[in-house]
Amino acid sequence: MTAPSLSLNLWAIAVCVIGAAFALIVRERLAPRVLAIACCAAAALTFAGGAICLAAGPSGDVALWTLPVVGSITIGTTTIGSWFACIAAIVYLPTSLFTLRYLERYAESYSLRAFAIWYCALLAGIIGLFICRDVTSFFIDWEVIAIASALLVAFEWRHVRNARAAFVMLGMSEAGTMAALLAMLLARGGTLWFGGPPANLNGPLSWVVFLLAFFGFGVKAGLLPINSWLPRAHPIAPGNVSALLSGVILNMGVYGIVLVNMVLAPSHHPVQGLVVMIVGAASALVGILYATIVDDMKAMLAYSSIENIGIVVTALGTALVFMAVGQPLLAGIGFAAGMYHLVNHSAYKGLLFLGAATVDVKLGTRSMNALGGIIRVLPVTTAFFFIGVFAISAIPPLNGFVSEWLTFQALLRSAELAPLTYRVIFALCGAALALTAALTVTCFVKVFGMSFLGWQRSERPKPAEAPLSMLVSMGLLALACVALGIVPTYVLPVIGRASTAAFGSDVVSGTLVPPFFNPSSPPRPLPPDFVATFHALGAQIGSWLPGRGLVVMLRGGAANPVVFAMSTTYLCLIIGALLLVTYLVVRFVTRTRRAERAKTWTGGMSRLPAEMTYTATGFSNPVRVIFDAVFDPTEVENTRETIHQHFRSAIRRTRQDVFLSERLLSEPLTNVVQSAANLLARMHHGRLSAYVGYALGTLLIVLAIVSL
Amino acid sequence: MKNWFLRGLTAGIRTEPLTEGAVSAALSPGLPKTTEHTGTQRAEMLAAACPNEAIRAVEAVAEVDEDRCVLCMRCKGRDGQTWRRDVAWAHPNADSQGPLEPRFRRSLHVRIIDAGDCGSCLNELAQMNGPAYNLHRLGIFITPTPRQADVLLVVGPATRQMQDALVSAYEAMPEPKRVVAVGVCAASGGIFGPSLMSAAGVAAIIPVDLVVPGCPPPPHAIIDALRLVCGQTARPVPR
Amino acid sequence: MLTAFAEHLRTIWPDVDWREHDDVIHADIGARYLRAMTKYFRAQQWRIGTIVARENGRGLDVRYCFYATLHPGWVELRVELDPGERTLPSLTNVAIAADWFEREIEDLFSIRFTEHPRLGDFVLHNDRLPENLGLMRPQVQSAADIPEQTREWRPKRVLEEEGAFVMTVGPVYSGEAESALFLLETVGEDVVRAVPRLFFKYRAIEKIAEGRTVQDVLLLAERCNGTSAIGNGLAYCQAVERATGITVPARALSLRTFFAELERLRHHMTSVREICASTALQVAESQALWIEEQLLRVSGELTGHRYLFGVLAIGGLMTDYDRGALETAVADVELLVRRVEPLRKALENASSFLDRIEQVGIVSGEAARAFEIVGPFARASGVCADMRAVQPYDAYPSVRFDVPAETEGDGYARLRVLFSEMIQSLHIMRQVVAGLPAGAVVGNTPAGAGSALGWSEAPRGASVQWVECDAQGIVLRYRLTPPSFRNWHGFHVATEDFAFQDFPIILATLDLSVAENDR
Repeated sequence: MTAPSLSLNLWAIAVCVIGAAFALIVRERLAPRVLAIACCAAAALTFAGGAICLAAGPSGDVALWTLPVVGSITIGTTTIGSWFACIAAIVYLPTSLFTLRYLERYAESYSLRAFAIWYCALLAGIIGLFICRDVTSFFIDWEVIAIASALLVAFEWRHVRNARAAFVMLGMSEAGTMAALLAMLLARGGTLWFGGPPANLNGPLSWVVFLLAFFGFGVKAGLLPINSWLPRAHPIAPGNVSALLSGVILNMGVYGIVLVNMVLAPSHHPVQGLVVMIVGAASALVGILYATIVDDMKAMLAYSSIENIGIVVTALGTALVFMAVGQPLLAGIGFAAGMYHLVNHSAYKGLLFLGAATVDVKLGTRSMNALGGIIRVLPVTTAFFFIGVFAISAIPPLNGFVSEWLTFQALLRSAELAPLTYRVIFALCGAALALTAALTVTCFVKVFGMSFLGWQRSERPKPAEAPLSMLVSMGLLALACVALGIVPTYVLPVIGRASTAAFGSDVVSGTLVPPFFNPSSPPRPLPPDFVATFHALGAQIGSWLPGRGLVVMLRGGAANPVVFAMSTTYLCLIIGALLLVTYLVVRFVTRTRRAERAKTWTGGMSRLPAEMTYTATGFSNPVRVIFDAVFDPTEVENTRETIHQHFRSAIRRTRQDVFLSERLLSEPLTNVVQSAANLLARMHHGRLSAYVGYALGTLLIVLAIVSL
Repeated sequence: MKNWFLRGLTAGIRTEPLTEGAVSAALSPGLPKTTEHTGTQRAEMLAAACPNEAIRAVEAVAEVDEDRCVLCMRCKGRDGQTWRRDVAWAHPNADSQGPLEPRFRRSLHVRIIDAGDCGSCLNELAQMNGPAYNLHRLGIFITPTPRQADVLLVVGPATRQMQDALVSAYEAMPEPKRVVAVGVCAASGGIFGPSLMSAAGVAAIIPVDLVVPGCPPPPHAIIDALRLVCGQTARPVPR
Repeated sequence: MLTAFAEHLRTIWPDVDWREHDDVIHADIGARYLRAMTKYFRAQQWRIGTIVARENGRGLDVRYCFYATLHPGWVELRVELDPGERTLPSLTNVAIAADWFEREIEDLFSIRFTEHPRLGDFVLHNDRLPENLGLMRPQVQSAADIPEQTREWRPKRVLEEEGAFVMTVGPVYSGEAESALFLLETVGEDVVRAVPRLFFKYRAIEKIAEGRTVQDVLLLAERCNGTSAIGNGLAYCQAVERATGITVPARALSLRTFFAELERLRHHMTSVREICASTALQVAESQALWIEEQLLRVSGELTGHRYLFGVLAIGGLMTDYDRGALETAVADVELLVRRVEPLRKALENASSFLDRIEQVGIVSGEAARAFEIVGPFARASGVCADMRAVQPYDAYPSVRFDVPAETEGDGYARLRVLFSEMIQSLHIMRQVVAGLPAGAVVGNTPAGAGSALGWSEAPRGASVQWVECDAQGIVLRYRLTPPSFRNWHGFHVATEDFAFQDFPIILATLDLSVAENDR
């Protein structure tokens, strides 16, 4: 009856609902267990459904119910939706496992049952979003997700600050939703169904739809300048919710953008793609700048999420540009880069957030200045966090490297664009992303070095290692990072299947993993020296290895006949071999020598107290000084106390940074609305006679309009 | 910038050849020598004149303990006191480990520790890196960390409040290592020690291999000591 | 002028017995007068020369010695403490310059200065030596009287900012640096506060001098800081000569001036070399090193010791020097100073070098006056207190020389002062040799008990010393206040709010000696 992919998704939603129902009736103590079982099962089912859809093709659309005004509620799996669903499942399963023990910290103060219910509801909404095939169900689901995520973010509702941050999140989300809804209605024209041929919008309507959809969904995705809710929401949310927020919820925004601008109403203007690229690059740069200077681990990861989504959006922007100028193969590179970076980001950001949550639970603080030396107390957590740090810094052979490489390849293809301005903008965005990559390394060296290595900078009790469920969940995500990095040639064809929804055909695999390497498809005739190059690169390792070759490569165009190739698989093998060989050689050469362990040389001081070691703020201060114009901190306090005029007894300095989005958009907007409201408030002076006058005036106007 | 480059080139080569033989007073203040006198009177007068008991009257011989001479110049040119003008002052300590292995001969790294020095020994050490003495041509370098040092060069009478740092610097050096005590303060405490705050020389705190007397020893004598430590030169008969 | 001033003092404080003897006004006062008198003296532009605490068998007495900066003359106020009494009012609320003196006396004599906010852990480090040890008191005689202990020591932190930490430099650092610990409070880029922790090299010279002959203590004075042997030795000799009534012959006075200036010239060359080294300008450093070596050789050739040890003696000099040798030395020095000139011009045209020292390490004239900085350090900030001009001694009254000064107070100003003083030193040397009087070089040696002040302008600034000796020529109390002790006090003013990278350069331009401070 229904295709297996769709039915699996429906079963997944059912499991979530059952889980929520169970959570309502069981004892407080068992709520986390119900949550873990239900959501792990649901995530697994979703993943299975998504995989089947990507393998076998989309299921047809099924109309569920028909409602009076809005038409029929249609559901069905699509390849692009399934890709996003798989990403969600990759993050949701480990997070649910993590939640099993993580919720213990809330056992006394908050309702675990409520958490479980919202959590299951959120998952149900997410799974539902990817199978919705009409505007009504899409936005109903969207609201479910918005409300459930806001409730989860504000879980620690006893603090006023948390409630306000969640309120801001919800408010901005609603504003974005309105814009997105409007865009979708305009895009679809008469019908509300997603199926059918893509709309061909021209002129100003195309721009209106684009801007509304991009900035509307951009609120959810966390793009500059509409992301002022993100740095407020993350630090206050519980650790596992942060992982979901970054790993799953932000992807919803990207899904919306892809849905409207690539599937439903593909953009035809290259300038729209350029706008996307510029906003993405700016978000990336500003995001990582703020990430580098903050002290709270979770705030840092939140800003880093802004950066990563910025990179995704930049890559999608290049795809839009190439699509608009009629180069679908090049657009495929950008699309693959964006989608790959999305799954990578979900995997490593989820891992990093879970790691930060573990540190928070075990050591009681997230401040990098106060931490230090975690490797000695939580070695396994440190190892997993290290893999996350390595991955996010785009170090080969992990997954971050693959998607960054693809992004830069997409940007370098600007050579094949005709207009100079496009090439200039591509180059500038490329430069911004390069700076971003460098700052990412700085930022994460700081996180890892200052919190996990070195000495403990404040007095803390020594905890035991995290419980097994938390470690396993982090391990799963670490495994995902490694797997996504080492065998990209197996992931890219999956993205290619997802790209059929946007481009009509698989534009990714054709470019990035040449088809003649797929043993199932017949080999195309190619020039022999070309084949020889590929053989020389080791792409083809004989016919006995199943599946694809191990090198990702792309050919330059006619003007640029070079081959760009990269293989993290081989890199992984070579790096491993080099490390092993080096280790063996060193062991052999120094076999007669004795290594001594000695005290650290501290310049002759008998011991170095904790306040004499570098802090995280000190590490990143040079970045702050160089980019001071971006941060523009306000000085809250700068007092110097002296005794007898010359003995300095205290110097107190406090500076506060206001996020750029708030300075650019939120604050001016708030001020405008506030002044308008103040202006209008003059009407409310309390004189009854004037109010009667208002009523009379309104009546006259209405009569006048009616008579016309 | 090219100005400095040309400046340096036109200054020419100012490095002087090393010497172990006699040098002028400009290059070295010299040290008193054990002198045999005709009678005990002179020897006793010289011993009485010395403020740090560096001269002992043993019958008719005025025996000089170089490790105690602070170069106050009170015995110079009187009562027949002879003076040595060579610069081969360095001598091994009682439990010296001898010079380093041959692989250090042309590549020696020295960590200088100031354990209470008055400043003159440090200034002579600074002169060694200058054009006239040019320590680098011998393959000897000053290093800022004891982890990469082969030789610990100590100046000063090992003041009490520097002893911890001195010991930790010594322990931070990997094997093989040698310690050279430069100056009379490091050799025996000079006129400062042993006392409340100074030790009787660095050897009371860490094992010392080579001692260079003098107050301060001239750069030639210190270079001679460093060349002994790394094996570039060797003394035929150790004292 | 001093007599007039004494009269003035008698009118203001008539119940105090002001006695004038030689160039010093003495008075025994009660502690209650201290603050008011200090305030008055400082308003008349007098400076603290030294503060001497002394065990006098019955208890303690403390001498506060001030000197005028507008005319020759000293004031010595003596406060006697009752046998059980061990407190004095602190002067830091009227004269911050007294801060380190009081901390030192508290550490070594266990006198408490009320209202001093920072006593403890100064000379004697708290992590190894117990508080209230009273090292200079008679009950501590040898190393056996000092109990060892190991305690935790933490720096006192002043900066309260998120992420602030203390960056330590030392006590063992760099290649050829003296041992000292610097605690730099920072948030990462700028040094907000720099506090030195000194006295790692404390040799207790003042303590071990007690019981030695005056001739042997001269060795200690010379070797307090070997590169200022004449500078500190001169102050000591003058103190002893004044205390015991020795008259130094004119030839010895002129020759002492000669050697003091020779030492100053060579010392300033060392400072220039250190400034070039700190900015890593290697060619200039090499050239400066070569010139400095040649100056050392001139000293060695002339006297037999490169650092001029064994030149001074109580009452004059150890040996005489003939005119020919002196003229040769002056000619050699002149050739070397002529080589310094092109180096100076090249440095002043090297913009990358000037960028590192100009506008860096600024000490205002006001701060220099408050902390009573001395020497070229102070003269670069416009404070021209030079003992040779203000309290002349030896042959200085008969030679003509300028005291160069600048006003900016930054590293470049200090460099210019050093170069100018080198020219002046050569000028003085020439005049001395030209007008060298004939005669003996050693004066009479009357014995006698007594105590007196001695002062000189050492290369780094004013060195003020006080000696008390008995009739047999044994030193009972030796007080040594070298110029670096005063200047290290003002060090933190120069280094605050500058970047880390500037720290070693500022340190080099300030020309401070740890050995001289630690004694």
